[in-house]
Amino acid sequence: MTRQRLSRRRLRFCLYAFIVVFVVFAVRLFQIQALDMGAYAAKAVAAGTARVAVPAPRGEILDRNGRPLAASVHGRNLTADPYLTAPNAPEIAAILREQLGDRIDYFDTIDKLRKKVYNPQTKEMVPARFVYVVKRLPGDEADQVLEALKEYPGIFSEKIGLRTYPGGRLGANLIGFVDAEGTGRAGLEQALDKRLTGTDGENTYEVSPLGVRIPMADTTVREMVPGSDVVSTIDRDLQWFADKRLAAGVDEAGADWGLALTMDVRTGEIVQMSQFPSFDLADPQDRRGAWIKNLAVERPYEPGSVMKTITMAALADQGKIRPESPIVVPKGIKVDQYRIGDYWRHGVLHLTAAGVIAKSSNLGTIVAARQMTKRSHWEYLRKFGFGQLTGIGLAGETAGLLRDINTNPWAASHRATIAFGQGVSVNAVQMIRAVGAVANNGVLVTPTVVDAYRLPDGRQIDAPEGETRRVVSPEAAAIVRRMMEQVPRSDGGTAPAAQIAGYRVAGKTGTAWRVSPETGKYIRGQNTVSFVGFAPADKPRFITYVVLDKPHRNAGGGSAASPVFHDIMAMALERFGVVPSGSKSPKVDLDW
Amino acid sequence: MSVVTSPSARFHGAIPHKPSTRMRGAARPQPKRGLRLVAPVTHRARRTPFVVVLLAVVGSGLVGLILISTAMQAQTFELAELTAEARELETAQEALQREVSELESPEHLGPLAVARGMVPSQTPVYLQLSDGTVKGSPKPAEERSNIRQVVR
Repeated sequence: MTRQRLSRRRLRFCLYAFIVVFVVFAVRLFQIQALDMGAYAAKAVAAGTARVAVPAPRGEILDRNGRPLAASVHGRNLTADPYLTAPNAPEIAAILREQLGDRIDYFDTIDKLRKKVYNPQTKEMVPARFVYVVKRLPGDEADQVLEALKEYPGIFSEKIGLRTYPGGRLGANLIGFVDAEGTGRAGLEQALDKRLTGTDGENTYEVSPLGVRIPMADTTVREMVPGSDVVSTIDRDLQWFADKRLAAGVDEAGADWGLALTMDVRTGEIVQMSQFPSFDLADPQDRRGAWIKNLAVERPYEPGSVMKTITMAALADQGKIRPESPIVVPKGIKVDQYRIGDYWRHGVLHLTAAGVIAKSSNLGTIVAARQMTKRSHWEYLRKFGFGQLTGIGLAGETAGLLRDINTNPWAASHRATIAFGQGVSVNAVQMIRAVGAVANNGVLVTPTVVDAYRLPDGRQIDAPEGETRRVVSPEAAAIVRRMMEQVPRSDGGTAPAAQIAGYRVAGKTGTAWRVSPETGKYIRGQNTVSFVGFAPADKPRFITYVVLDKPHRNAGGGSAASPVFHDIMAMALERFGVVPSGSKSPKVDLDW
Repeated sequence: MSVVTSPSARFHGAIPHKPSTRMRGAARPQPKRGLRLVAPVTHRARRTPFVVVLLAVVGSGLVGLILISTAMQAQTFELAELTAEARELETAQEALQREVSELESPEHLGPLAVARGMVPSQTPVYLQLSDGTVKGSPKPAEERSNIRQVVR
């Protein structure tokens, strides 16, 4: 056989071999790509890719100076595979107990680590493959625990975003909180949930059959978008001081609960909103009590004599009253079989309009209010925003109750009592907004608790401004301010304790009969006492409203609420650098 | 196969005056020669250099591959380590940040100050720098005058 022939045969053999091999490949390829395509693709994706959720951090809630009131940190949930952990359950539980202390229950944890579930196929109990052992651990603690447990198989963790409230009880009712899923459930957290919540991202990458990430293989990343930060109008330090001062006031007066709010009269910014009793945001167990409600917007009550300022503003706007206007105050008034008196016994008095406000005479207010029609009285109350939501944007706000004159005509007794703040219910924000209009030269502003939003890209946008409207003339507002400046007078006013040395203060006390929430009737001997005031009276900047519910019998707006007002207002004036003008309050004769 | 004939020579001899356009290159006049015997090819191309070159290419490729993959693996490990370290530092930073914000919060500082007998000021007073006048009525704060105690 020649060489040539031999190599030709070899070539041919190789060719056939190649053809056979490639035909086998082609057939297999066709089978995989064309026949079983779906099944293999799914298998490959399932076995060859891993997904990791990237939780988007929730935006922070900051005070007006950028200090955190609510912040987000990385946290972890510890999970376990009871199939693996059951044999070592007591040891693992002991380590967890050692690391986390009281936050876990030893026996509870053992039960979790040994959890069994019913398998309907084999009809017997088998170990579960997944349980949550501890939820919501801060990242550093979770790392420590995982390090301590690394000898034991079956303990895993998943990433979550965690909410922290560095202030604890500070402004708790206003700030609110999130539930276990991270959704806002109260306060600002609830009202601004959409702004604060970001969009979670996801990383998908290819892994080897052993679960190791394949370098340089395909990776798809869906970027997470963090939530926006909310800059509130609250001043953290003033809020803290007001919280504590109010708590002391509630305690001294033996009251059921108390509220204190301070608003910038020019902008409607609420710089402090306190409530006592409150709750601790740092303690999730403390979120079940009755005090998680934000009473400043959610609780309707009868305001009492504070409402006299609004009655006077309505009269002044119609040119029907001045601070010096003489009023003959009778011993008593009987309307629709109801006998109405003042809180002190007196004969016929000759008080000026300023005297009626300074001494808080119900009878004098009724006499004055009778100069306007019931309809115009109602219309002014509507203009001042009673019976309507304030637009502050907090969840669960009550509109209060103002008898609608169109559907429920006012009897003489309605007009008489509404003039001094009974037979009408309000929320505290409504009340501070209405009196704030008197302080703000007759212009009503919308109260707000949000100053601005900080977007994830770093831009800061101002919160939309609320409605602003004129309700009474600047002259009418000035007349009422002059009357209110007589209230803190030490010679004849009801609240000398409200006077702040160096400043001109205007205010009004309130002592209202308390309505039982159950029966809707007045309870004899139970009151809601309050004080609303603004300073400096010659160029108003802040208005502070203090409400104490059901204090002991002899506590009044002047004695119990005005000292709290004094301290909070003085602190607000100092913190915001409001300089006194040095002028003296003009004195108006209280009687004639 | 060992005899080389020259067909072109024969061809020229047959049709000398009419060279085909295709064969123009071959049609140059050549010195006339007769057939002669050439030496047979006694050796084929040597295998060794070829094999060496081939082995060198394959070998260097393999070594390069190993080097690259080792380097990549080392880098992957380094990446994993650095990522873990970054995460650890981030967690530590967050924990410290949390601690700082809790410690600097008035909820923490307030009680400490009150416990030392400090009292929040209740009479705001300003010194006007332009003319040296004092605005407000300065009054020393009384002990335990507004916030007596703070319960956490």
